[in-house]
Amino acid sequence: MFIWHIVRNGCLCCAFLAAVSVVGSSQTSAVAPVAVSPASPADAAIVKDFYARVSNYLDLRKKEAGSSPKPTNSAVKLAESKNEMAEKTQTARAEAKQGDIFTPEIAAYFRKRITAALAGPQGAKIRSSLRHAEPLHSMDLHVNQKYPDGLPFQSVPPTLLLNLPRLPKELEYRIVGRDLALHDIATNIIVDFIPGAVPSS
Amino acid sequence: MHQRVLFLILACAQVLGYAAQDAARVVQSTSAAANASAPQPAAANGLDIRLPLQSKSIRFAVIGDSGTGDRDQYQVAQEMETYRQKVGFDFVIMLGDNIYGSHHPNDFTQKFELPYKPMLDAGVKFYAALGNHDDPNDERLYKPFNMGGERYYAFKKGDVAFFALDSNYMDPNQLSWIDQNLQNTKSKWKICYFHHPLYNEGRSHGPDLDLRTQLTPLFKRYGVNLVLSGHEHVYERIKPQDNIYYLVLGNSAKLMSKDLKSSDQMQKGFDSDRGFMLIEIGGDKLYFQVISRTGQTIDAGVFDRQAQPSATSATVH
Repeated sequence: MFIWHIVRNGCLCCAFLAAVSVVGSSQTSAVAPVAVSPASPADAAIVKDFYARVSNYLDLRKKEAGSSPKPTNSAVKLAESKNEMAEKTQTARAEAKQGDIFTPEIAAYFRKRITAALAGPQGAKIRSSLRHAEPLHSMDLHVNQKYPDGLPFQSVPPTLLLNLPRLPKELEYRIVGRDLALHDIATNIIVDFIPGAVPSS
Repeated sequence: MHQRVLFLILACAQVLGYAAQDAARVVQSTSAAANASAPQPAAANGLDIRLPLQSKSIRFAVIGDSGTGDRDQYQVAQEMETYRQKVGFDFVIMLGDNIYGSHHPNDFTQKFELPYKPMLDAGVKFYAALGNHDDPNDERLYKPFNMGGERYYAFKKGDVAFFALDSNYMDPNQLSWIDQNLQNTKSKWKICYFHHPLYNEGRSHGPDLDLRTQLTPLFKRYGVNLVLSGHEHVYERIKPQDNIYYLVLGNSAKLMSKDLKSSDQMQKGFDSDRGFMLIEIGGDKLYFQVISRTGQTIDAGVFDRQAQPSATSATVH
């Protein structure tokens, strides 16, 4: 009875770009607009393509594996649900490979955005935050595989996130070393990644 | 006879004088502003309780970086329960890294349910924020963490609004949510808590500067009173920044020994053992007490609610 309220992101839902696909779920807002408008029609087309690929992934995952369960007291149920969802998703995407979502054009766009953020007025602070976030340097990413259980996540600097296309709540960007991964939270699966997306200096 | 009475009066006066001098020295050594009243120590069955325990106050405990499942976590939890029985807090906020390492069902048992079992059995609620060692899927859906299935959320206790944020992933959606919810709250007190500290003097991690750039304008604009963080495995009380109090508590199981650098920015630091914090809010006062694994009071004091941006004051003893 003490819970005040849990209001999430509702105000953002009305301002979506035409490229945005709505992803239905009781806990899910639709794909939000890009934080920074693409600078050119060509970039806009790339972002539109990215959202379409993200939507296709989520449609497939939901069709084959469903969505996250409701909150429960049982850690056993949570583990079983996650494992089941992950196995079904992995099976459905057995042929998935690096670059399916981050095509060369999309990866180039992301690299451009990240480089611009790091070269911008907040660049030094972004670098500082990356250094202080327990970075992982010795982990190889594999598409359609689980992020290793027990390894910490490196936080993603907010200014960097402001420069990347927003994601639906089911997905998040993860930085692993210098790679940028697209991570499915409910299944703990690496959907795709961009090798060396974060410049070394 | 008269001489004996006079001697006794003079002796008592001298003792009281020494006591007053000693108390003043302690206050002066750790105080930011010594012009406000501080709660007096109260012994309850040998416990050093520095909270006033007012009727109808809001009382809660704070832990950070707690989920190791090792002996230190259990010892801190045991000391918390000892204090709970006297102080009577009914909820705990968790500053992240609630479950270290793997997240198998047994980890939730060993790293949360068992160490805090007496409190859970007594109906104490835990409100978790996510740390970099936490699984955002499993933990937000784990009912005992009271996250309502979300990575960031708000709740209210009396006249205090709490905002549990996910500092691992401060994306534009979350920033918009914070902006909107801080703006809308009518609570007298606004407390934000999350894992990565905006200010800290630790050698191991240090402050998250990019996060600071994004969050502090919102905190200032909407009058956030207190910010609590973990991540650095120490205790720190930071000098108020822009009229906002900052406390770091990341040593409720983990410890970074000798991690703290001396700094004018840090008013109090503790990096030689684990601990937890008790907070009591009554009216316009926020009382805090930090207690070590072995039951020693590390820091205690009172914050006045910030009525104006320049009206910050704090007294510690």
